[in-house]
Amino acid sequence: MNLITLKNKKNGRLVLPLVSLFSLSILIGGVSESVEAKTNQRLVVGNEYMLVTNYPNNLHVLDLATEKVMKTCQLPDDFGPGAIKVSPDHKTAYVLNNHYEDIYGIDMDSCDVVFTARQSNGNERVKSIFSFAVSPDGKELYTIQNPTLLNKDHYRIQEPRLAVYDTKGGLDAKPIRSFPAPRQVTVMSVAENGTLLMAGEDFYAVDVNTGEKTVALANRNWQRPLYAAPDVLNAWPMDTANNEFLSLYTTARFQDETMDLNSAEWIYGFHTIDLKTGKAESIDFGPITEIYFTGMRNPADSNIVYGVLNRLAKYDISKKEMINAAPLDHSYYCIAMNDKGTRVYLAGTFNDVAIYDADSLEKTGSIKLPGGDMAITTAQVFRR
Amino acid sequence: MKHLKPVNQKADALSKAATDNQVDEVIAMQSVAGCTATTDPGWEIDAFGSVTSLCQPMESDLYGCADPCWWPAQVPDMMNTYPDWNKDAPSAGENWRNLGDVFPKSKD
Repeated sequence: MNLITLKNKKNGRLVLPLVSLFSLSILIGGVSESVEAKTNQRLVVGNEYMLVTNYPNNLHVLDLATEKVMKTCQLPDDFGPGAIKVSPDHKTAYVLNNHYEDIYGIDMDSCDVVFTARQSNGNERVKSIFSFAVSPDGKELYTIQNPTLLNKDHYRIQEPRLAVYDTKGGLDAKPIRSFPAPRQVTVMSVAENGTLLMAGEDFYAVDVNTGEKTVALANRNWQRPLYAAPDVLNAWPMDTANNEFLSLYTTARFQDETMDLNSAEWIYGFHTIDLKTGKAESIDFGPITEIYFTGMRNPADSNIVYGVLNRLAKYDISKKEMINAAPLDHSYYCIAMNDKGTRVYLAGTFNDVAIYDADSLEKTGSIKLPGGDMAITTAQVFRR
Repeated sequence: MKHLKPVNQKADALSKAATDNQVDEVIAMQSVAGCTATTDPGWEIDAFGSVTSLCQPMESDLYGCADPCWWPAQVPDMMNTYPDWNKDAPSAGENWRNLGDVFPKSKD
């Protein structure tokens, strides 16, 4: 009996691994098919989505109705910065990646890479510092290229240039036009009439066919009596549901011509350019009490602006006062909102997207992402 | 400086720049430019002389500073020189023990 038992046990031990392997193969097959099915899952017309990227090199599509990850697309090459722009038809996500050098177009329905612009060439290394945008008709992609010649014994900085790509340029796209560009340009956006807007020393409006540049909004060179020069941090090329190109600034307003810093008023504000009308304004919204990395106006109430870094804060612009603030679990760099203006989404830094009620600033949820840190990603919200 | 004499072209150029008052052409950086030393307060102190406006915890800010070469003196430059520094640490908060220090490679 013992022998039989042992035999049975032995058989059992022999059989079990086979069964396990068989089960495993089914499981792997199932997971593989499931992942593939999810990768090919099409976005639904009318639904609202949010895009973020994270380490090691993922593009996530978040369904804002269910507040879950809908699908994850693998990106080629290396991560960084993972800045995102969405095509006007909301089918292609363009990602600046591979250590700020290359731009990839990802078909969001299939996760296929449909566009690649490798900007470096030979011994010319090219970086784009968050500076890229897509034309309103989706046919062209603009990028500010910062080239450096890597010679054997020394590096030589070249002048920056605006490069224009045809978005149908495929997987080895080359610029179809290029023009000299100002230095220090970071984030960009495009007005509805096709004028390219870029944030650098000042905000420039550029004709993408001639390269001709005018100042759309003075920043470093603003002439506001008794104001110090503004300080800005433009690293997130966010688009907004209310169709404006917005950047936060901090500044000081002096009491009189003596420009005494001790009695100056320290102010937060934002530059805004309306992408429909071109109207450009610099609007103060409150005193500086803490630092925000990004800000956004509520699409449903343009008198409300939010700022985020270590707290999510909400300001009444006309009253120039903070009306609410919520503590956060950790710092978040990048703010986004749904088009109804009811939810605030916080992204960047670690790998969770925090969700807040736009009115009460109560935390209503979070979305944990597969993979590592979002770091300096851009969150983009759109409705297919 | 009056006891120093330029002995090569670069030093001569610097000396001339100073005497021509060209220092006025140098403008404090206002935007991220990649691998340029910034004058922003670092991880030690914030703009108010305090710490409450520093990123919290610092791990949340680590790759946001390494990716764009924001503080090249404090964090390895992942934009150009050490692109694989965090290849074994996709999450700074959870995998920080896998981050090593960096040292220039021998050019022999």
